[in-house]
Amino acid sequence: MKMLLEFLSIGPVVLEVLEALAPLVLFFVVFQIVSLRLPAQGLSRLARGLALTFAGLVLFLQGVKIGFLPVGQEMGRALGGLEHKWIIVPIGFLLGLSATAAEPAVRILAREVETASTGAIRARVIILALSFGVAVFVALGMVRILTGVPLRWLVVPGYSIAVLMLPFSDRTFMSIAFDSGGVATGPMTVTFVMALAVGVAVALENRHPVLDGFGLIALVALAPILSVMALGLVYSWKKGKKP
Amino acid sequence: MKDVWRETRQAVLPLAAVVLVLQTVVLSMPLAVIARFLLGTAMVMAGLMLFLKGVRIGLLPMGQAIGAELPKRTTFAWLLVLAFILGFAVTVAEPDVRVLAYQVDFASGGQIGRGLLVLSVALGVGLSVGLAMLRILLGVPMGWVLAAGYALVLILSFFVPAHFLPVAFDAGGVTTGPVTVPFILALGIGVVSVLGGRSAIGDGFGIVGIASIGPVLSVMLLGIFYG
Repeated sequence: MKMLLEFLSIGPVVLEVLEALAPLVLFFVVFQIVSLRLPAQGLSRLARGLALTFAGLVLFLQGVKIGFLPVGQEMGRALGGLEHKWIIVPIGFLLGLSATAAEPAVRILAREVETASTGAIRARVIILALSFGVAVFVALGMVRILTGVPLRWLVVPGYSIAVLMLPFSDRTFMSIAFDSGGVATGPMTVTFVMALAVGVAVALENRHPVLDGFGLIALVALAPILSVMALGLVYSWKKGKKP
Repeated sequence: MKDVWRETRQAVLPLAAVVLVLQTVVLSMPLAVIARFLLGTAMVMAGLMLFLKGVRIGLLPMGQAIGAELPKRTTFAWLLVLAFILGFAVTVAEPDVRVLAYQVDFASGGQIGRGLLVLSVALGVGLSVGLAMLRILLGVPMGWVLAAGYALVLILSFFVPAHFLPVAFDAGGVTTGPVTVPFILALGIGVVSVLGGRSAIGDGFGIVGIASIGPVLSVMLLGIFYG
């Protein structure tokens, strides 16, 4: 009962969402008056969309704040307190895989890459490559939390490799790769998996929640960049071999 | 609503299933925690559906209208200023950025406050969206900007206080969310179509990639000056 009340007290989140949407709406209103001048019919549709966005954001953020964040942290602490702590590495792999394989944005990206390669690289191959890429990186992220390796050691080589691949990449692939950094950082990764990582870092001795708990999103964003760049190289190589 | 229901289901349910399996196999957390998780899941799913629908009929057409109109009516300099303001405004509205800010606020014991983080991420995105527009207008190759941006990130990473570094890199990942991406893409496609001549694929895309470097740099700078 007490928990239900917690979920129902949405006052602070309502204020926050108002504050979040205000700049965008203000920008649009000024723009509409100064130069856009959309007809009233179109405006009422936009207003309806905005109302839905508002309601959706309130529910989403409240669910995350009261539901996902505390439970994710609780679960992370429970995992960090287990005797066999290494188990969080395969669990990270599983979480990464399940967060990516079904993610709608990943499908859209896969189709984009298939088109860019004129069908030479199939969408299914891309989905597989991306899902495994992300899963491996989340698992690596968990290894990092367990061992306390600085994030720098993973991120610096990762982005260096991406930058070094740039001169050899097809222009279209390059754009798609760097745009796709966010595809796997969907609503579950950013909320639940991040909270879990912070929870694990809290539970482990000698680990700092800020220093070791964060960084997972960065790895999840790096994985698709590397995967798509690598696929682009494969495509260039294939094309070069068979002109 | 059918399409958004499918998207929501695909984004939330697989991970929720993994959590429930873990609960039964590895952990046995108290029932109250699981109840909280299930309630949270229901609320997140309902919220995500409404939000995605709202983005589709409200924010997305809004972004397209602005993207198509903006480059026609203004001068070069104004376009950059407006691109900055728009990049800032969409980031303030981005749910993923808020969630990161909650987490950082909690984990740092309030030392890195919510408002400050959202503000610096939004400034970073705004500046880099402006920069991305400048790139399209001047015709600088995408690869140069990306290489320079990440080179700067890598160099700065050696001067940032250690506990700001993970948050800075995470900030780059959360900016590419459901509000930012459609808005920025629409803006880019609008600008490219008005300029004409250049391939929409090569130029219109890539803005999101540049936009996610900005917040990494701005949070790093926040760390250097503030940490």
